[in-house]
Amino acid sequence: MSVWGALAGGFVGTLVLTTSLRAASELRLTRIDLPFLLGTAVTAALIYFAVFSALGRDGWLLGTLFGLAHGLFTGTALVNILLPVVHPRMGTPLSSIDSHAVLEPPGFLMLNYGRSTPFVSLAAHAAYGALVGGFTALAS
Amino acid sequence: MRADGYAPIDGYAAIGDGRTVALVARDGSIDWLCLPDLDSPSVLAGILDAERGGRFALEPEEGYDVQRRYLPETNVLETTFSTAGGVVRVTDAMTLPDGRLGPLRELVRKIEGLSGTVPMRWHIEPRFGAGAWSTQVGRRSGVPVASAGSDAIAVCSWQAGDPTCSDGAIEARFELAAGAEALLTVSVAHQEPLVFPARDESAARLRRTADAWRGWASGRRYEGRWRDAVVRSALALRLLVYAPSGAVAAAPTTSLPEEIGGERNWDYRFCWIRDSAFTLDAFLKLGCGNEATGFFWWLMHASQLTRPRLQVLYRLDGGTHAPERTLPLAGYRGSRPVRVGNGAVDQLQLDIYGHLFETATLFARSGRGIDADVGHRLAEAADLVCEIWPNADSGIWEVRSEPVHFTQSKMMCWVALDGAVHLARAGQIPAKNVRRWQTEAEAIRRFVETRCWSDAKRSYVRFAGSEELDASLLLGVLFGYGDATGDRLTGTIAAVRRELAHGPFVRRYSGEDGVTGSDGAFLPCSFWLAESLARSGRTDDAVHLMEQLVDLANDVGLYAEEIDPDTGEFLGNYPQALTHLALINAAVACAKDGA
Repeated sequence: MSVWGALAGGFVGTLVLTTSLRAASELRLTRIDLPFLLGTAVTAALIYFAVFSALGRDGWLLGTLFGLAHGLFTGTALVNILLPVVHPRMGTPLSSIDSHAVLEPPGFLMLNYGRSTPFVSLAAHAAYGALVGGFTALAS
Repeated sequence: MRADGYAPIDGYAAIGDGRTVALVARDGSIDWLCLPDLDSPSVLAGILDAERGGRFALEPEEGYDVQRRYLPETNVLETTFSTAGGVVRVTDAMTLPDGRLGPLRELVRKIEGLSGTVPMRWHIEPRFGAGAWSTQVGRRSGVPVASAGSDAIAVCSWQAGDPTCSDGAIEARFELAAGAEALLTVSVAHQEPLVFPARDESAARLRRTADAWRGWASGRRYEGRWRDAVVRSALALRLLVYAPSGAVAAAPTTSLPEEIGGERNWDYRFCWIRDSAFTLDAFLKLGCGNEATGFFWWLMHASQLTRPRLQVLYRLDGGTHAPERTLPLAGYRGSRPVRVGNGAVDQLQLDIYGHLFETATLFARSGRGIDADVGHRLAEAADLVCEIWPNADSGIWEVRSEPVHFTQSKMMCWVALDGAVHLARAGQIPAKNVRRWQTEAEAIRRFVETRCWSDAKRSYVRFAGSEELDASLLLGVLFGYGDATGDRLTGTIAAVRRELAHGPFVRRYSGEDGVTGSDGAFLPCSFWLAESLARSGRTDDAVHLMEQLVDLANDVGLYAEEIDPDTGEFLGNYPQALTHLALINAAVACAKDGA
């Protein structure tokens, strides 16, 4: 198992993830803003690799499962709990627009950004996971 | 004020931010808004379908009188409602971005109580994709939001009632007492999360937007007669400059009819090569150097895609694809079809090459250089004109009948080759084929002088061999086809006045054009006539005509494309760049002549 394989998969997966989300936006399926996701996508490959190492297994199928879990985490906890902590202008149920402008909160599974957003996001993350898992296996 | 839900076209004022334009009716209803850009699908289109198009109404709940104006030298609109109970003032603007976190586009409506207490109501029905896309209305963090796919708007309100969301609409009622102030903002997102603006920030952007417009208007260089009309025209024109590219839209609307109930309904949200020389001329005359440079380079960039041929029109982003289709909307007062895209894009119109070379000549004369690559492309275009000028074409008016040899098209081909020769002699474009350009220019002139002149009418005629007249022949005067004081051009001016003009109104042409029905008087032709009179030395006549034409503007100084000579009703897309360009250029010509 090679970390370089995971990083290569992360690089290619990020390209696929960002391209597919951007395309989904052009197809009027979602209003997800890409910069929120790029950083997490790049670093996630290393976390995937750590878990692959701990399990002693890798491969595109396992990567796909990780990607789905990653997508669920992103659409629930990451954007709704963690993101408002680090993004001062991200709206929350407690925020107010009396004093300064805030960004529209994404909502559960980012449904606020369009009804198709959960499907688009999960599919893109699954593809990302499959690429990270596949490249890690290829480099083994 | 409204008939069957439709306000008169001259009842609208335009507000915009250099990216899109909204039309505000005298009763406070915003009936036209495309998002995020002015050539995007409409979100509010009540002007094209009073029942299903969508609108943003804001008005007193009791009977009222209306007065309105633009804040001086701005595109910020002020509407004052006077009721039995009091007076309320609404200030409308599309705000300009301020570099801080803010909406992609922002429509701000400030409501101030001036006296008494006035019950008010507002109601917004967004219909994304001209009503074709399913719209969801709900709340985010308590803010009413409407969304469809990758587009969304948020309606933020302060002291403007407690909004309710139902049946695809957001609405509220409130009372405004003297001294109180309410604020409504529509925040727009496209392919991104919405930004919910803070009240103070929106109010500050509204103030800065008014200041920015005032700053821009104060820089305009014109002190002649009709200055207010010229500056208003410049501001209207500036609304139509698409800031991301520098292109100038012919109008911000589609399918406002040239005949009520008729089929002459076209999409004008494109940039026409036909308008380019007028545009650059007006920009340079008014000291809009940045706009002139931006427009010229946009033109050169867009036309590169089709070089050396030109398309009749280009999209505002420089694209060439503008297929025409119809929308399932009722049309302004039943005027169907409602079209988007423009079928004229595929026509052959020879006159556009003359406009291209006139534009390049004006640009070069202003001291701005033409680089080698553009010079090479212009030379290629001149070579092309030598090949294609003998063809029949659809002419400046984009007739949908069979192509013929339009006189104005041939004149403009001569203007193109004459311009190419002068540019070559000035070292701006390659001079290798100058001899050929001169030879073909002489051949064009022979054709026009022998085949396109009528001894009976003492005038050039609409097309070779006809006895019909065409007001576009006046462009021969404006673009220097011949001596403006010579017999043939003065005879043509006289014939146009005699046969196409009725008071200040001028019809485009006599004869048929392949489309059923008729249209009104074409306002740019009236201003071209005024400019032609000034250039041919008949300044008094020009001034008299200009006085009449300036009075035809609506209450906020805007013009449509056409006007019904019998009723004075505006017709066609609105506000119309070509009309305002023609006004500016005619006023400057009169001023040069000492008027």
